[in-house]
Amino acid sequence: MKSNKILFLLFVLLVLPGCGGGGGGGSSSSSGGGSSQTTNVLPLTVNGSTCDSSLIASSGGYINDPCVSVTVCTPGSSTCVTINSILLDTGSYGLRIFKQALGSVSLTQVTSSSGSPLAECVQYADNTSDWGPVQIARVSLGNEPAVQVPIQVIDATFATIPSSCGPPIYTPDTKPSDEGFNGILGVGPFIYDCGAICVTSSVGQYYSCSGSTCTSTVVSLASQVQNPVASFPTDNNGVIVQLPGVAAGGTTSLTGSILFGIGTQSNNSLSGATAYPLDQNGNFITIFNGVSFNEASNPNSGSFTDSGSNGLFFPSPSMSTPDAGELPDCAGVYSFWFCPPSTTNFSATIAGASGSPTKSVSFQIGNFISLINSPNYVFSDIGGNVSGTFDWGLPFYLGRNVYIGFEKESSLGTGQYIAY
Amino acid sequence: MKTRIYSIFFALGLLMVCFISVQRVAATLGEPAGSIESDRKALSTVKRGVKVRNSYTVYEIYSEANSVREYVSSLGIVFGIAWNGLVYPDITQLLGSYAGEYQKALQQTLRQKGSRHLRVQSPGVIVEQWGHMRSLQGRAYAPALIPSGVSVDEIK
Repeated sequence: MKSNKILFLLFVLLVLPGCGGGGGGGSSSSSGGGSSQTTNVLPLTVNGSTCDSSLIASSGGYINDPCVSVTVCTPGSSTCVTINSILLDTGSYGLRIFKQALGSVSLTQVTSSSGSPLAECVQYADNTSDWGPVQIARVSLGNEPAVQVPIQVIDATFATIPSSCGPPIYTPDTKPSDEGFNGILGVGPFIYDCGAICVTSSVGQYYSCSGSTCTSTVVSLASQVQNPVASFPTDNNGVIVQLPGVAAGGTTSLTGSILFGIGTQSNNSLSGATAYPLDQNGNFITIFNGVSFNEASNPNSGSFTDSGSNGLFFPSPSMSTPDAGELPDCAGVYSFWFCPPSTTNFSATIAGASGSPTKSVSFQIGNFISLINSPNYVFSDIGGNVSGTFDWGLPFYLGRNVYIGFEKESSLGTGQYIAY
Repeated sequence: MKTRIYSIFFALGLLMVCFISVQRVAATLGEPAGSIESDRKALSTVKRGVKVRNSYTVYEIYSEANSVREYVSSLGIVFGIAWNGLVYPDITQLLGSYAGEYQKALQQTLRQKGSRHLRVQSPGVIVEQWGHMRSLQGRAYAPALIPSGVSVDEIK
């Protein structure tokens, strides 16, 4: 037991930047912007000024919508567009933007090894999908230096959408006004959206499109859609999501920040946060209501955090568990949200993927129908019933600094963690 | 009697399967395991292991794209399927005769922005999905075919 703890402490010290192990060191010599402490700060709002309110409305009232603005330029030119309502997403990796939002900014098409245009199908757990070509863009996030990375242009009309991305099973995202966002900025703990497997195996995520015929293909890491933050010259080892707390009952909008880099400047140290290592799929352990959600014991049970999920989603307590009956589903079309008679307190334990460290987290679940019948759009106390595991969605980020530590570029698949 | 003979035959079949690398996905919800050549394009899928638990057997078909686990009752019928990986398996093929019912129920399922999971319920089949990029997960089962004493949560 004791030696495991010591080993773990050594591991944590090694992976934490600024503690003598990883890159970044302890001093804050940042590039570009001189000694300004705001080179690594990007405004983040939930249903606020960085969102396009018309998209929130047209998509049917998108609640808990975390938005940032990004600037996208044609590589090698000053033709740029600044786009708001980009979903800040810790559950995905890489930048995706609707073709409509790019306007007249043209990007450089990436080709597969056969020389044909490269495209990608991304599936989501709700059977929506993003289909479209992979293109190089020059991306600016706040005051960080612009970086050139492959992004996905969301375009359901590109070539021929494969069956893995389209009807009858999958509903591809087609336009911002339907989906409620102009794009998605994936800043989860992995650098490439597929990673090493897609370099050698043709799994059906990347496609080579000759004319209108698209065939599944392998793809190099360099050509994969990737987390732009990982390409920054500094401040590139993680992000910190900072949002104020919200009382039960909600609020109309919220203003906060996303910081780039962990331990690279004076404003982004880990300070009092504890790091929880993630496994090779980006998952950790949650214990709730006597049930342990642990990928090591059940491959479909890894717990995770995802700012693109707009509630706390977990299996409703069954009749044989301590919290049995406390979280009934709402009636009718809202049946996958919880509708307890009144706001109820709960707690769960989060643990690193290997079992430690552990810390208890308190949360509240209110009556979803009552809450959305208020004028508010941002809630800390909404949750819903999902089989399988515990998804710590956007409410987890309200009132706590959440750190997403990226995998190490030099040894992909290791070093990733969350901290809070 | 017939069941016992079938079971012995089935068990022998299992032993053979253990030592053979089969280049096909075993089966389809509601169908007998291994009796249907349901996926010819599965050149990269390999039948990896057989586990026996309680009144059912679990077959795992592993590929770089995903892992699919099929839950087969002692009568040899697939009553549940679970999966996880980079991309989803071909759900239409896995659901077999239940695919049409699923597609209809799917069309009627309300999708809500930001709810990154899915539950599609129809009388004959229930399909549930959750997870995130690189870790997409799900399961499907025919409630009427689940052996007695087996909990739905064992389909994982």
